[in-house]
Amino acid sequence: MTETARVPIEAIAPSFEDILRGQGMPPQAIVKDRVRDLVETSQAILAAEAQPCSITGDVSRAEFDGIFRGQGRNEAEAPLKDIYPRARHLVLFALTMGRGLGERIEGFLEHNDFALAAMLDTAASLAVENYVGLLERRVAERYAGNDAAADDSVVLNYSPGYCGWHISAQDQVFRYLDPRQIGITLNESQLMTPLKSATGVLVHGPRAIHEFDIGFRFCRACRDKTCLDRRDRLSSVKHTTLEGAAWTS
Amino acid sequence: MDVLKDIAEQVQLGDDERVHALTAQAIEQGMHPTAILNDGLVAGMNVVGKLFKDHEIFLPDVLMAAKAMHAGLDQLKPLFAKEGIPTRGTIVIGTVKGDLHDLGKNLVGIMLKGAGFEVIDLGKDVAPETFVETAVKANARIIGMSALLTTTMPAMKAVIDLLRQGNHQARIKTMIGGAPITKAYADQIGADAYAFDAAKSVDCANALLGG
Repeated sequence: MTETARVPIEAIAPSFEDILRGQGMPPQAIVKDRVRDLVETSQAILAAEAQPCSITGDVSRAEFDGIFRGQGRNEAEAPLKDIYPRARHLVLFALTMGRGLGERIEGFLEHNDFALAAMLDTAASLAVENYVGLLERRVAERYAGNDAAADDSVVLNYSPGYCGWHISAQDQVFRYLDPRQIGITLNESQLMTPLKSATGVLVHGPRAIHEFDIGFRFCRACRDKTCLDRRDRLSSVKHTTLEGAAWTS
Repeated sequence: MDVLKDIAEQVQLGDDERVHALTAQAIEQGMHPTAILNDGLVAGMNVVGKLFKDHEIFLPDVLMAAKAMHAGLDQLKPLFAKEGIPTRGTIVIGTVKGDLHDLGKNLVGIMLKGAGFEVIDLGKDVAPETFVETAVKANARIIGMSALLTTTMPAMKAVIDLLRQGNHQARIKTMIGGAPITKAYADQIGADAYAFDAAKSVDCANALLGG
């Protein structure tokens, strides 16, 4: 069974400070008036143009075997390969911010408005991340035990294209979820339209299964190390309720 | 010469309207387009590039400066074409097949244009054949490739292999960059240069073209 949702942009809009951080500005940096204007303009455009919606669906571990395998192009060893077999629940997801944002970003680039394009791009990407976080909380809430305090379960997302899970697995995710019903399509390179969209799996299970050493072959080449931020986030993941979202099964 | 100094300063401040007006003024005064480009626009962007490299300014400052530079550059382009003035060389850039992350690539394009190169930006999810065919057709000297995903990095080697197969590697150099890319990886796949970040890409291009 799948569940679609439309959420208010206010629930996932990034803060002023987060957008600046996303632009690589350290917290102590002096924010010039023109930069402040750019951030505020990007927030206003995000509020006006974003149409956040998502689709999620539970899959069994056996079903996910095939989804994870995709076209057989994953790295021989990858974190998710060891994580999902120990999961309590697996939920596929696809979400998008809608077409309008991508078109506005392209439009700004065409007019050499690089700073505003980049600021809006950052704001939209952060909104996508926040939306994924919201879905994580939704799944955590749904599967929370009666004694929430004793429950050691957390939910973290993993996406094709990252950490050894090859991008070509996208077509399997699409086969199961059919995100076309919320306006997301896939091109021959397995890339999504609209631009600001995301897919993956929400893994619900004991906190310990999400912890892994970053000693994989591809980790040596990775400068981002966002997995470390995610690992840190594990300790602060809480079960919270979202108000304002319209969830439809 | 003051107007060129003013152009450089206004580029640094990211004031596109002032740069537009000052460039028009310099053209009206009969200054050579190459002087306006090199001593005004490029000089301003060089300072911006250095400040960015030293973490004294940040991405929004660079991008506002780039818009200001374009406000001048757009007025010079017709003059370059009319007088047949050669550019510093053409560079084809793009994000490799399977990858749609283009913020870094866009920044590389801006910095290279700011340094006076002609840049053909193929966008994202660019097939290896498109990189090579475009570079050959445009008589480009460098192909610059960007990737953010470890899973899309191998597409860079496909471009280099195609250049070799077509015997273009002596004429068309390759420069690669992106979050997962390292110097070791560049060496491993036979790329001619590795740009750690957008600011470094100008140094790489200059080195590859003997500038």
